[in-house]
Amino acid sequence: MQWAIATAAFLASAVEFVEAFTIVLVVGVTINWRSSLLGAFAAAATLAVIVATLGVALVKWVPIQDFRLVVGIILILFGLKWLKKAILRYSGLKSLHDEEAIFEETMAEIRARGETIAPRFQPFGVALSYKSVLLEGLEVAFIVITFGSSVTTSTGVNGIASAALGAAVAGLLVIAAGAIIRAPLTKVPENTLKFVVGIMLTSFGTFWAAEGFSFEWPLPLPDAFIPILAALYLLVSYGLVSWLKWNKQHQLATASANATSVNAQEQEEVRP
Amino acid sequence: MKVIKAIYNFIVGDMIILVGVVIAVLALALINNVSALSPLRPATGFLLVAAVLVTLTATLYREARGKR
Repeated sequence: MQWAIATAAFLASAVEFVEAFTIVLVVGVTINWRSSLLGAFAAAATLAVIVATLGVALVKWVPIQDFRLVVGIILILFGLKWLKKAILRYSGLKSLHDEEAIFEETMAEIRARGETIAPRFQPFGVALSYKSVLLEGLEVAFIVITFGSSVTTSTGVNGIASAALGAAVAGLLVIAAGAIIRAPLTKVPENTLKFVVGIMLTSFGTFWAAEGFSFEWPLPLPDAFIPILAALYLLVSYGLVSWLKWNKQHQLATASANATSVNAQEQEEVRP
Repeated sequence: MKVIKAIYNFIVGDMIILVGVVIAVLALALINNVSALSPLRPATGFLLVAAVLVTLTATLYREARGKR
């Protein structure tokens, strides 16, 4: 069992499943639960097939050194994308993901189409549920394949199994939490999860990409350099959040000072 | 074109990140294949870390400037 891989896949999946769950919940409440769950399970099955076929095929046919280089680069791209979003949200330059708002918006769209609660399967409900779970899950499937297949030494199945297990546990937890509260999962700290996953993906990506270039990390146990990379990225990200916050406040203060001086000038011009 | 855009949005969705990482990878490939640049080979990993940090800072800088 690869715990670091399972944890990363768990966290990444938790974020995406929370987003997918919101749409599944809307379809369940506004159309019916049969259509909603059928779409969700069909999408989960599609994702499982993608992971099983593509993951194993890649590991079997591509040499591990080349594979790590490509996977490392893809993980850096993914990681930087997630990290950038999380940093922008922490610094207040981007609004936080609001599951409640997405829930209301999708509900209004479905009602506008005139869809009503009916016991039988509704193709629109199945399609909407399937699409949302598949689209959100595709990124997770990609992470599971790339992450899982990079850590294995011979067959590659062990790493993929660890990552898939992490993703499955996250999915089950989200479904269980959703079934209990039957409302959008607004309490899940999505931004923090995205931030942690962004750091992990970037750290692993850098580590593997450098190894793909035959670089040897300067420690007796090279894997021990991954936490060092994570700590470095965490520190720099913290600094970037502080800088963006300061920058935003500085801009607001400047704009406010400009507005005050313009008002004062206008008042002076009005006075005789 | 739509397919390429969809793949781009799925994997990265940010031109600065994409260009930054591609430049870093090309530079590292050169270092590993050109014998004149071989003295830099022991620093490949650290150069990659620096490139990642510069790329992240650059994309955030552009966002901060864009909000003005």
